[in-house]
Amino acid sequence: MNKLSMGDKAASSRVNHWVDPSFSDLTGESFSLPGRRKGLCSQAESKRPRKRKGAESRSDPHISALLKELAHRDQDEPWVDRYSPCSQTELAVHKKKIEEVENWMRTHTNASKGGILLLTGPSGCGKTATVQVLSQELGLRIQEWVNPTNVEPYSSSQQEWRTNGMSCSSQQAQFQDFLLRANKYSCLRMAGDDGATDRKLILVEELPNQFYRHPSNLHDNLRRFVKTSRCPLVFIVSDSLSGDSSSRLLFPRDIQEELDISCISFNPVAPTTMMKVLTRISTLEAGKSCGRMCVPDKSVLEMLCSGSSGDIRSAVNSLQFSSLPDTSLEKDLWRLKKDRPVASASKTVSRTTQRKRKSKQTKEQEEEQAIGGKDASLFLFRALGKILHCKRRNHEDVEAADVAPAPALPSHLCHHHRETLLVDPELVVERSHMSGEFFNLYLHQNYLDFFSQVEDVARASEYLSDADLLTSDWTSRSTMQEYGSSVATRGLLHSNSQQVCVGFRPLHKPNWLLISKRHRENCLAAQSLFRNFCLAPVSLQTELLPYLAKLTNPMRNQAQIAFIQDVGYMSLRSFSSRLKLEALTDKEPGQLETDGEEEEQKDEGQGGAEDGLPASQPQPTTNPALLEEELIIEEYDSD
Amino acid sequence: MSLWVDKYRPTSLGKLDYHKDQASQLKNLVQCGDFPHLLVYGPSGAGKKTRIMCLLRELYGAGVEKLRIEHQTIVAPSKKKIEINTIASNYHLEVNASDAGNQDRVVIQELIKTVAQSQQIQSSTQREFKVVLLTEVDRLTKDAQHALRRTMEKYMSTCRLILCSNSTSRVIGPIRSRCLAIRVPLPSTEEVCNVLTSVCKKEGLLLPPELAKQISEKSGRNLRKALLMCEACRVQQYPFSADQDVPETDWEVYLRETANAIVSQQSPQRLLEVRARLYELLTHCIPPDIIMKGLVTELLRNCDGQLKTEVSHMAAYYEHRLQLGNKAIYHLEAFTAKFMAMYKKFMEDGLEAMMF
Repeated sequence: MNKLSMGDKAASSRVNHWVDPSFSDLTGESFSLPGRRKGLCSQAESKRPRKRKGAESRSDPHISALLKELAHRDQDEPWVDRYSPCSQTELAVHKKKIEEVENWMRTHTNASKGGILLLTGPSGCGKTATVQVLSQELGLRIQEWVNPTNVEPYSSSQQEWRTNGMSCSSQQAQFQDFLLRANKYSCLRMAGDDGATDRKLILVEELPNQFYRHPSNLHDNLRRFVKTSRCPLVFIVSDSLSGDSSSRLLFPRDIQEELDISCISFNPVAPTTMMKVLTRISTLEAGKSCGRMCVPDKSVLEMLCSGSSGDIRSAVNSLQFSSLPDTSLEKDLWRLKKDRPVASASKTVSRTTQRKRKSKQTKEQEEEQAIGGKDASLFLFRALGKILHCKRRNHEDVEAADVAPAPALPSHLCHHHRETLLVDPELVVERSHMSGEFFNLYLHQNYLDFFSQVEDVARASEYLSDADLLTSDWTSRSTMQEYGSSVATRGLLHSNSQQVCVGFRPLHKPNWLLISKRHRENCLAAQSLFRNFCLAPVSLQTELLPYLAKLTNPMRNQAQIAFIQDVGYMSLRSFSSRLKLEALTDKEPGQLETDGEEEEQKDEGQGGAEDGLPASQPQPTTNPALLEEELIIEEYDSD
Repeated sequence: MSLWVDKYRPTSLGKLDYHKDQASQLKNLVQCGDFPHLLVYGPSGAGKKTRIMCLLRELYGAGVEKLRIEHQTIVAPSKKKIEINTIASNYHLEVNASDAGNQDRVVIQELIKTVAQSQQIQSSTQREFKVVLLTEVDRLTKDAQHALRRTMEKYMSTCRLILCSNSTSRVIGPIRSRCLAIRVPLPSTEEVCNVLTSVCKKEGLLLPPELAKQISEKSGRNLRKALLMCEACRVQQYPFSADQDVPETDWEVYLRETANAIVSQQSPQRLLEVRARLYELLTHCIPPDIIMKGLVTELLRNCDGQLKTEVSHMAAYYEHRLQLGNKAIYHLEAFTAKFMAMYKKFMEDGLEAMMF
């Protein structure tokens, strides 16, 4: 909204006075350089953040000329920038992680040969900040790749072409150039430069879009880079929960091994660390503003902290927003929440010792958050763990709590008594970003490991069967899906009566989709290969084929022979010869690529004979959700 | 070289080996001239298709045996293309509409329409109607069955339907009442033995009566299976010996082992193993309902009389769910788990009773 932010900093600040901002009535002086990451204020606090780009730091006299204006406007600078960490101790990242990154950087800057580092983690967990701080401490320059903005239409060919005397090449080519140059040439030494270093680090946070479509191009570039690399190259890729994990796509395992890419993954910022940072910022701000600013109390901070789900950037942003000087808008926002924090504050006195429980309560209330609430989400691995491990409140905990005990169940129902759950199953499923059906499949694949009693298993499996029944009809599936997943998750939780602490168990991806696909494909293949026997599918599959395998009848063609070899025989010795369990790793999104469409096809057929694509045909790779919808519509039309 | 099943299949009503009076009734039916729609039903391997083909030959002569397999593409109103295989002669068309899944209604209507709209060229020498043979009618959706009802009436003048199914229970009433129902029961053990012996004689082999009896019992009087078994015996060993092992299909053996695994131990780990075995069966093209049925049969052998009713009740319950539900493994596994729990409790109770 502010065009001036594009201009020179000094000019814009002067100009800012001529132009009366149209929103001035809203927030006093909120108009200034919002986007620039330039430190305008080098006054006051000792904790001045260092600039992102060392080359941009200004000499003191220049800034002192602007001091007066800056005093005004420094409150408009995003706190995220102003309080960005400038030393390791300020980083809101676990010490071990920092150490890990630091070690990598040390070893790879001292060696003459560079390497590639991949940092992953959810957004706002301090990946970039860590790199910034460490490279500053190690005396490294950061050279960062920024996607160029081409006005000209994008040319898919990599050759340069000329329009209006401007040369324009594809982003991809430019990226390649950038890597080459950054690797080959060291930085120019400028007059004002204090840095005595010419060691540097190449940082890539965004990648040309083309690479997402054809990751192999990136891999080629990297291979070339690795051959000649002289300085370390750091990629920062945020994890996404929406299914397409870009880090997995861009840097698959084999490439990581081939190019010797080290991968360090960050966790969301821990609540305690986040609280520390938020408290520090709010006290600093409070001291500076001398009461002009409404400083949020502790409970508010806690709420912000829990609502941000480990994203420190969003937490700091919402802290800044929530402590803006009075405006009508802001009042309203707070009034909504006022009653709740007060209520909880009164309780706080009584249970200062039970920090655990309190934090849990605030966690439950995060939906009420008005400001800065971030959609919390869980990786599938953790979501499954939450259901399968079935965490319930401890007995001592219950007694310690001053909550009135719920009325006890009558004696004949006593065996149904369970302690209070610590998880909300529906919430877990919702946050796993998965349809209930797929979540159930994952649960089904893994639940047996967590049970010790057959009776419990019998009940759990019945609940799963119920859940399948609920969602069986496609006309009502969209409505029933949630009920289905609710039945399955709660059923599993309830039926696990012997809460054994099983420790870590590996989780696996469901086999069912693969199996049902094979079943379908084999059935289709059987029917098409042995069509001349003119048999109904069932008798073909259960009578003819197994005996054909035992007979010496010459088959007509190779395909028939191969099929008989494959399907007609069963190995009686081994338990599961073909079934390979695919372990579900941490942070892996659910595999939904082909599953959705297969599901739909399965539904179309009533019994053994369904229509579907035979194995030889190329499988469409459209978005599963889209395809599912299309198919449903088709069915509806024809009915 | 074709299979014995195909090689020695009788081709005329007169040559049928069993249910001879029914064959003569069918012959009379053809000779009377007026020919209603037929609903032929009976268990698998009883000879329904054979009988129908004989009937068609009786109607049209040897021309019906010139079969051609056609691949037809039908476009549904929703512009979806449905591909289906048909087997046809000049006089009849055989189709398994349930291959088309949900779209079977369209298939039935379109196919019958095209057949019925073309008149026979020489109606003086030939019958004035063609025959559409629909197999596996019991697998048709309700929708398709209702469509079939309307189509049946509409094209009565040029087209007769012969429906073939395993049971009438899933065929809707209106269709049942429009057809002449013909039940083809399984042949008796003796009849199976006779067929086996005569086939072996034609092959120039000597089949000991004991082995014939054993085969016919093992096959469950399913003649197709019996012939396949007999041929497999021939491959296994010739000359036949009376106490020779009759080869069973691999999946049946596998299923029995699975049932034994269930009975021998009841624990979540064992259930996990059983699940892997069920998956294996499924990948070998064994339909889930057959797995369920086979599993129950095997399990019941290991059960006490009192437990039997409970187990079969559970089996029926979960088999029903299997039909309604989406993913078979949930229900198969639920049944297995339930059986495990039941069996374990039964064994523990029995143990306690022994102790005191």
